[in-house]
Amino acid sequence: MKRNVYVGCLLAIVLVALGVGQNVLQKSVAAQTNGKTMAPKFEVDPMWPKPLPNGWYLGQTIGVGVDANDHVWIIHRSDSLDAAEAAADEGTGACCKKAPPILEFDQQGNLLRHWGGKDGEGYQWPASNHGLQIDGKGNIWIGGNGGGNDGHILKFTQDGKFLMQVGIKKAGLAADSNAQDRFYLVAKVSLDNKNNEAYVADGYGNRRVVVLDMDTGKFKRYWGAYGNKPDDAAAAAAPRYTPGSTPSQQFRGPVHCADMSVDGLVYVCDRTSDRLQVFTRDGKFVKEIFVEPESLADGSTWDVAFSKDPQQKYLYLADGRNQKLHIYDRQSLTELTNFGEGGHYPGQFYSMHSIAVDSKGNLYTTETYQGRRVQKFLYKGLAPVTKKEQGTPWPTRTTH
Amino acid sequence: MRRALSVGGSILIFVAIATFSPALHDDVAAQGRGTAPALRVNPYWPQPLPNHWVLGSVTGVAIDAQDHVWVTHRGADSLEGNEKGMMANPPTSVKCCTAAPFVLEFDADGKVLSNFGGPGQGYQWPQSPGAITVDGKGNVWIAAAGLEPAPPGGRGRGAAAADPDAVPAGRGRAETPPDAARGAAPPAGRGRGPAAPAGPPDAHVLKFSHDGKFLLQIGTPGKMEGPDSKTTLNRPAAVAVDTTANEVYVADSGNHRIVVFDADSGAYKRHWGAYGETPTAAGGGAYDPNAAPSRQFRDVTCVEISKDNMVYVCDRSSDRIQVFQKDGKFVKEGAVSKNTKGVTVGGQFGAMSSAGSVWDIAFSNDPQQRYVYVADGHDKIVIVLQRDTLAEVGRIGSGGRLAGQFLAVGSVAADSRGNVYTGEQHHGKRVQKWMPGR
Repeated sequence: MKRNVYVGCLLAIVLVALGVGQNVLQKSVAAQTNGKTMAPKFEVDPMWPKPLPNGWYLGQTIGVGVDANDHVWIIHRSDSLDAAEAAADEGTGACCKKAPPILEFDQQGNLLRHWGGKDGEGYQWPASNHGLQIDGKGNIWIGGNGGGNDGHILKFTQDGKFLMQVGIKKAGLAADSNAQDRFYLVAKVSLDNKNNEAYVADGYGNRRVVVLDMDTGKFKRYWGAYGNKPDDAAAAAAPRYTPGSTPSQQFRGPVHCADMSVDGLVYVCDRTSDRLQVFTRDGKFVKEIFVEPESLADGSTWDVAFSKDPQQKYLYLADGRNQKLHIYDRQSLTELTNFGEGGHYPGQFYSMHSIAVDSKGNLYTTETYQGRRVQKFLYKGLAPVTKKEQGTPWPTRTTH
Repeated sequence: MRRALSVGGSILIFVAIATFSPALHDDVAAQGRGTAPALRVNPYWPQPLPNHWVLGSVTGVAIDAQDHVWVTHRGADSLEGNEKGMMANPPTSVKCCTAAPFVLEFDADGKVLSNFGGPGQGYQWPQSPGAITVDGKGNVWIAAAGLEPAPPGGRGRGAAAADPDAVPAGRGRAETPPDAARGAAPPAGRGRGPAAPAGPPDAHVLKFSHDGKFLLQIGTPGKMEGPDSKTTLNRPAAVAVDTTANEVYVADSGNHRIVVFDADSGAYKRHWGAYGETPTAAGGGAYDPNAAPSRQFRDVTCVEISKDNMVYVCDRSSDRIQVFQKDGKFVKEGAVSKNTKGVTVGGQFGAMSSAGSVWDIAFSNDPQQRYVYVADGHDKIVIVLQRDTLAEVGRIGSGGRLAGQFLAVGSVAADSRGNVYTGEQHHGKRVQKWMPGR
């Protein structure tokens, strides 16, 4: 960077010295800028958040949302701590204890409210927490993917007061991608505040997107891959994803995100198919892209978020298989650049799972499995893309 | 700490006071004890590894005479499917990641300078390395600590029962369901994960030159003849080298003893157990904080020699440090967090023991070595002791996965400038650098 500036200055001096006119010089500079692709630039904030109080420790962290005050809410699986991690709960040591599943942080990384984890009057807590989003009124929506159990989503106030359950939690539950009263293993609920609709990524068991009325929870419409009617038998019979194979007409799943942009397009993660499908609000298929299509196992398309400019010019995609945050031009779905690398250091990932953006454009990521953390990436504005793969996004100047 | 004994520490004036717990602070102030060095984490150390390398369970960290940092880790055997997608057949990712070589040398800026490790002619590479040490001549010693024995009953406690983010069971979408084996009981007898290296169980110590040339093996894999043996070891966890006397001290964990050999020939010199007494094969048994201290060591996980020629020994799950003369005469002992117990947990890569408070130690870099850093892997902190009293004077870090937090911190080393390096086992898989100051 510094070097580039230096070279640029030198070039300018030489050009002036050679008597090249001001007009030509300006043109040259403009061309240089125009010639370079610009993309949002991020740097990890390695000390965010602050250590949790009370000896609390995070498990698999599988959801993140940002509220109107730019407070960051996460959900994790308290029960995923092993006995060594939860040694204080187990009585074998002084550290640590399972943190409550839902945690609120301010911009400085201080922990504020925290709650959740138990059944209450009128609702069943999920067997396995999954996904968290916040609607325009500040209410918190979560899914659940506890196999054989979770067929529901839940809505709470920020204080943890129960507001609504849609669907049921019941032992022995199985997939039914055409059910109209419940889900199966929901990954995430995203909110269209303008139209008062909730988009349910349904999910690990079912293979569809469901749209609900945000107040009543009433099913309004649902669809599968390409806008097809979901067919569980056909999906089960479909061959496993291999790079270059004919794309499946059903979601392979997990259907891991379903997020709507400002211009009314719905972006759906079909994780083990390594693809992102785009639909209109009513489920008409628009287009699809494949992300790191050589990815096998648990797939490359884990979550999406949009840049903070009014047009949402950029789409961010969390790739928990390759440990990269991909940055796309949203209209063309051309990848501009990506950052991230495998590892446990700041700016690296072990199964990056969920992402969210605050009002300043800062990005938050959570990690499942043995990642077990939330990270903050500071938005540094648009910058020319100098490398397609940026690797670990540390500040340019770091002390070692 | 595995510093070469011949290297003198630079003088560092500790002006800051470590972060005490409030209760401890009162206690310390009341008794007029010294202050502990303050340390803050450097989140940008080491530099991102090249070649999409990732660290597995880090079992050893050492500093050499140039203040270079030597790290050993368990490699691919301790990586989960999601961490080593490039090593799968077919690869599940072409971009992330693959195991870093077993031994890495970093400079103080965190850049990888050299690496070696793995099978070779004349020795068996450890199924799991333990600690690493660089002696005064620059040779690199690695204890073959071996895989954890399976917990009683063959089942790890408290491991996460399932990984719901994995591809749903029965869908058959994954080549290898990423964490399918998590929480499963390790096979009885030995805590081996499915990818554990083959061969007879570790019972040896290896010596290499600085550039990885094999020099010496003490003990024989698979051959364990008990705590009286002059030629065999049993899951040794660590070594210390007295360069002047040309002797190597082995923390022979499975034999509940310290055993000393000639550092060149490997010839037996002497050995002793807890309190300088004769070690027994039975060791100390299960630890009970309320019982009288065991006359036997339990798991001996470190040995260090101070500049004033004292031998410090970690009796990990006994929550104590014992101090000896070089001839094995018992000098004193100190309890550290004596109520700490332990647990063995199951995981995708076998059993993982998390027990006791004293996993490793390092001496501070001041000429008097006034402080002892204790890696307490079960409570996920580094405890600072005053060396003369073995009383706690400070604590560093907390439990968690963020920079400056720990999981299973099992290694600690100090360089000549007052920097401290920590290594994390199990799923921690990091080396972190701590610098003087707040």
